[in-house]
Amino acid sequence: MALLLQGALEFARAAEPCDRPTKFGVADPLTGPNALFGKDQIEAVRWAVEDINAKGGVDGCKLEAVVIDNQARPELGIEAANRFIDVDKAPVFLTAFSSVVRAVAPVANRTKTLMLSIGANSPSIAKLGDYVYTTAPLSDVEMKALGPYIVDKLGKRRAAILYVNNETGIDGSRVLKRAFEQAGGSVVLDESYEPDQTDFTGLILKVRVADPDVIHIHGIVADTTALISQIRQLGIKTQITSYQNAFNQQMVQQLGPAAEGLVVTALAPTAEENPAVASYVARWKRDEGREPNGLPYTQYFYDAPYIVTELFRYVREHKMPETGESMRTALLTIRTFPQPLTNAVTFKDDHTVEKPVYFWQVRDGKFQFLGSTAQH
Amino acid sequence: MLQPEIILQLVWTGLANASYACLFAVAFALVLRVNKVWNFGQAGQMLIAYSAMFIVLRWWHGSMIVAVSAGLAATVAASLAIEQFGFRVLRRRRASTLSYFILTLVLSQLIVFVGELVFGTEPTTLTDSIVAPAFALGPIIVNVWDCEALAATVALLLLLYLVLMLSPAGQNMTAVADNAALAELYGIDPNRSYRMSMALSAIFITMGMLLLGTKTATVPSTPLQQYLIASVVATILAGVGNVFSAGFAAFALGLLQSFSILIVASRWQPLVVYGVLAITILLFPRGVGGWQFRLPAAGRLAPGSARAETAR
Repeated sequence: MALLLQGALEFARAAEPCDRPTKFGVADPLTGPNALFGKDQIEAVRWAVEDINAKGGVDGCKLEAVVIDNQARPELGIEAANRFIDVDKAPVFLTAFSSVVRAVAPVANRTKTLMLSIGANSPSIAKLGDYVYTTAPLSDVEMKALGPYIVDKLGKRRAAILYVNNETGIDGSRVLKRAFEQAGGSVVLDESYEPDQTDFTGLILKVRVADPDVIHIHGIVADTTALISQIRQLGIKTQITSYQNAFNQQMVQQLGPAAEGLVVTALAPTAEENPAVASYVARWKRDEGREPNGLPYTQYFYDAPYIVTELFRYVREHKMPETGESMRTALLTIRTFPQPLTNAVTFKDDHTVEKPVYFWQVRDGKFQFLGSTAQH
Repeated sequence: MLQPEIILQLVWTGLANASYACLFAVAFALVLRVNKVWNFGQAGQMLIAYSAMFIVLRWWHGSMIVAVSAGLAATVAASLAIEQFGFRVLRRRRASTLSYFILTLVLSQLIVFVGELVFGTEPTTLTDSIVAPAFALGPIIVNVWDCEALAATVALLLLLYLVLMLSPAGQNMTAVADNAALAELYGIDPNRSYRMSMALSAIFITMGMLLLGTKTATVPSTPLQQYLIASVVATILAGVGNVFSAGFAAFALGLLQSFSILIVASRWQPLVVYGVLAITILLFPRGVGGWQFRLPAAGRLAPGSARAETAR
């Protein structure tokens, strides 16, 4: 009798309509120079939300992503955050791009709304306040691994570091310089350029004079492409390295033979390490006819809604108010979240995340896997 | 950095990369000289040229000849429309310079907005690859794009000079540029000259965008945000009315940008360039002296119209 009653109650509960919105915000560039990445990242979020809802959502409640275009501009990022908080009453939101994350952090902290940064890699993100957490390792993880890799595996000891003059470039290049020098290398040229610069002749001639055996470029999208193209066109055949931002098949196509040999880092596992990644890439090819731009970034974007789902579940299970404070408590209590495409993530008290770093090289127009720090 | 091969490379690449800026500056200066309009709508014309070529090359996979033809046709049509339905209307109403400025700026912004809606805002190029074959020429590296860009620019400048010197339409443009009312008295139709000037500037704009689009990635707002101001500055430096000097000023600006790397780090280059420009404009508000390579004298007018001496 008791079992029948329990079953009836559970059935009744399951049949109850879900009266609570399960919204979270996502702000990313759908227009602007970074839309190349943003659109694919949002697509990954949409797929994740679909897949989560297909399996019952958040205990029967549909998960909903409120998407706003921020063009990767700080001022629009702030507007988007205010909209999530004041209008959509979302207790948690996702965003990316270091300059945007830095601008939005005060809003998140003041309103006690949990902000998850996805892929923005400036090391300063770890110090942006109680309500700002990254789901992906920051550039110090990547660059700390790349420095010794260049010396030990690529055998290069004289580096020219060229970086875009913004948070991404300045912070990332600093970490690389330190790591490279600690590994026994020497930095023969360390110079920045403006984000909208198109002619790099003078800078490249400085590189030629400095005579490095490796050139590291820490830029964004169009500038990295232009810089690599002009380096090769001026007859410089030196090894070039970059970071996850250059893991971009469209850029490789635009560069053609000029991209050959380019070594980049990535922070997401390969299909060999995680079979779900192979299915994910196959889904892109089936639905969009291509691989995503910035594949590793989209992997993190796909996984983020799973973290959000777990946070909502925890908060509701413990009958906590659905506020940013509760979300943060849930985050720091659960700590480790299994992730479909990027393996498990553990949030540390210092707001950082540790993951293996993967190394790729362009060969015959495609990225080929070289190895990872997990293998060492 | 002061080795001869470095200096030579900076000169060569600086000149090559300034080729499209030269074309844009000449287009801007020509309309200013003849139509007496600061045509800030040029950014919109640049985007129209690029978009037409982009559609043919990247959407329809057409040939370069078809793309350039489409670009020329679209830009000339747009330019004539701006003259006929914009400038001419304002001229009739004796509108102030400010009205022309506002109209052309709004037009550019409108075209950019439509461009962003249609094409998106991701950086694009006209060709799949922006890497041109390169070879060593003595101590410097030269690539095929550099040669084509400079050759095209020189050819266009020469062609413009010949048109203005030898053709009746060109000579009439010169007369209208000097004194439209007087030219009309002598049987020259100023409106025809205004249209001719806009059409010629459209050719320069289209070829400039072809060079730009095969060299670097652009977004719809690139002409308005980056290249229009450079054209204006070159025109001012050369002195208002000096069409070919504006082109040379654009080359000089390109070389200034290139050589500034010898003095400052890369990220300070824009500061040096704009600093020098600001000082130059303050010291030479009517243009830098010795640049007076003007349009051909109004002496040789078209057959059937009055002689220049009388016109002067």
